[in-house]
Amino acid sequence: MAADIKTRHVLLWAIFIGGMCLLPFVTTPGTLRTIIFANYLAIFAMSWDFLTGRTGYVSFGHPFLIGIGAYASAILSYRYGVPVAISIPLAVIITMIGGTLFFLPALRIRGSYFALVTLAFMELMYQLVQVIRPDITGGTRGMSGIQTITSGAFNNFYLSFALMAVIAVILWTLTRTRLGTALSAIGMNEESVRGSGLDTTKLKLFAFMVSACVAGIGGAFYVHYLGSIAPRNLFDINFLFTIIVAALIGGASTVVGPMAGAFFLTFLLEYLRPWLPGSERYFVYGAIALVLYMYQPKGLYQIIVDSLGIGKSRNKQEAAGDSAA
Amino acid sequence: MLQVLIQGLLLSGLYSLIAVGFTLIFSVGRVLNLAYGAYLMMGAYCYFYVTQTLGIPKPIGFVLAASVGAMAGVLKYRFLVKPLKGDHVAVEISTLILAVVIQAGIVFIFNDSAKVLHPIVPGVIWVGGAAVTYNMVAATLASWAILVLLYLFVRRTHTGRAMQAVSMDAKGAALSGIDPDKVNMITWVISGILGAAAGVFFASYTQVNPSMWVAPLIIAVAVVIVGGIGSILGTLVVAHIIGFMEVISTTFIAAELRGVFTMLLIIVVLVMMPKGLFGREEL
Repeated sequence: MAADIKTRHVLLWAIFIGGMCLLPFVTTPGTLRTIIFANYLAIFAMSWDFLTGRTGYVSFGHPFLIGIGAYASAILSYRYGVPVAISIPLAVIITMIGGTLFFLPALRIRGSYFALVTLAFMELMYQLVQVIRPDITGGTRGMSGIQTITSGAFNNFYLSFALMAVIAVILWTLTRTRLGTALSAIGMNEESVRGSGLDTTKLKLFAFMVSACVAGIGGAFYVHYLGSIAPRNLFDINFLFTIIVAALIGGASTVVGPMAGAFFLTFLLEYLRPWLPGSERYFVYGAIALVLYMYQPKGLYQIIVDSLGIGKSRNKQEAAGDSAA
Repeated sequence: MLQVLIQGLLLSGLYSLIAVGFTLIFSVGRVLNLAYGAYLMMGAYCYFYVTQTLGIPKPIGFVLAASVGAMAGVLKYRFLVKPLKGDHVAVEISTLILAVVIQAGIVFIFNDSAKVLHPIVPGVIWVGGAAVTYNMVAATLASWAILVLLYLFVRRTHTGRAMQAVSMDAKGAALSGIDPDKVNMITWVISGILGAAAGVFFASYTQVNPSMWVAPLIIAVAVVIVGGIGSILGTLVVAHIIGFMEVISTTFIAAELRGVFTMLLIIVVLVMMPKGLFGREEL
């Protein structure tokens, strides 16, 4: 399964990664902290997009997966004193088991109904975490004082960026293989993929597992960055909204899109802070997302591609509209 | 036992009212309006502002709340649902984004804190050792009245029948001279009014706060999914199943678990029988 990678791609990735590695030397620790958050959001958005953007199974329950990863690692290290080096891999495995649970409905339903089941999963988890064994999960208040991996903006930046870059490159390589093409084909027409003799169940399972794995890694590392965890911060529609909007605004079914979207939105929120300190910021954020989504459902990525005339302008009218605007 | 029965009936009445507007859109427009909870919130906040901040009499507050809901319905249909041309997933995502935008807008105007709504009808009656507020009774009676009116409207009037026709087959309805666009618009208006009215009652049952839209949305989703049909009667039946389930689990198991069973019901029903308890072809 040879991946379709050209020198140009390798060069672009190298420039991007190299440029990001130099960032800590030119910015302040405050900006770095914003970038750290953007890195984690990018991981979550890529995880969401690998499932939804490719296979078309809209997940409204990604906080469920991320939360499992975060809670598993937090509980293991905080309550049972398991070293982080062991608790994170274990948390990722647990998340993937949770992902299998997520996968079961996808065998029978798709479209709106699947989205709603995943939403129900998230709400279920939110309520269960608070009720079942609050002595372990920390109940409504969650846990704080969880062991952190490194300290300081500088170290955490490199850790989060390395994670994001590795995940991005792996996911991107995956999409350039025949496997990635097959997954995208499921999003277009599942029946005809099955008709071409491919086992769609296996393909879907693969997409779910990759997505859950990335969500688990992101969730586990994120909780060890924050050092605290609370149910309402994780299993929340607002968190889901942030992830989805990051992926959509950047451009669903690309790898670069969700990454760019995460950075764009994190910085947007940060720059709005002086004017709108509270959650009113989501008004501007959401409004921009909504207008962009209505204008171009494929996001900023597509708008840039169209206006640059790359991709042999698949849709000439749209390209013309973009350059006029 | 009597207490469970009464509480169950009251809660179910409220839930029917919450769910019916959502069902209506689902059956006629074939889309899930995830910003439905925002109607409830807007209705509740409008009522709160008009009656408790401005001190205007309650009936006027109610009418204003309903008109806010109707307007929200029109705007949503005109600028969101129609341009997306029935792309279900896109409608869901965009309405979800819209709901969060509305939530943020409410925080912007009214700030983050929860507000207590005075009961619409004050007073308490003691039945079988349990306090039953007149407010809850009024909410249930109003919801029954609204549901009966809605049922008659859908069954007996020309417009209502046109709505039924569009819900069965939009193309067929268009061929027999019904304008599906207009019918959809009317449905969105009615749904908005129902949502806002339900919001006022729901808020008087709990409180007014910027995240109050999530719980009713999930109830509405549960009712529609478990019912699997877009009919008013089906909504009524499933709203009672869910309402009684919550009251029973609160009374006999634990109050914290009341929502858990609703979620489990959604998941189990959708995985075991994707067409819902009462069956309907999938979207």
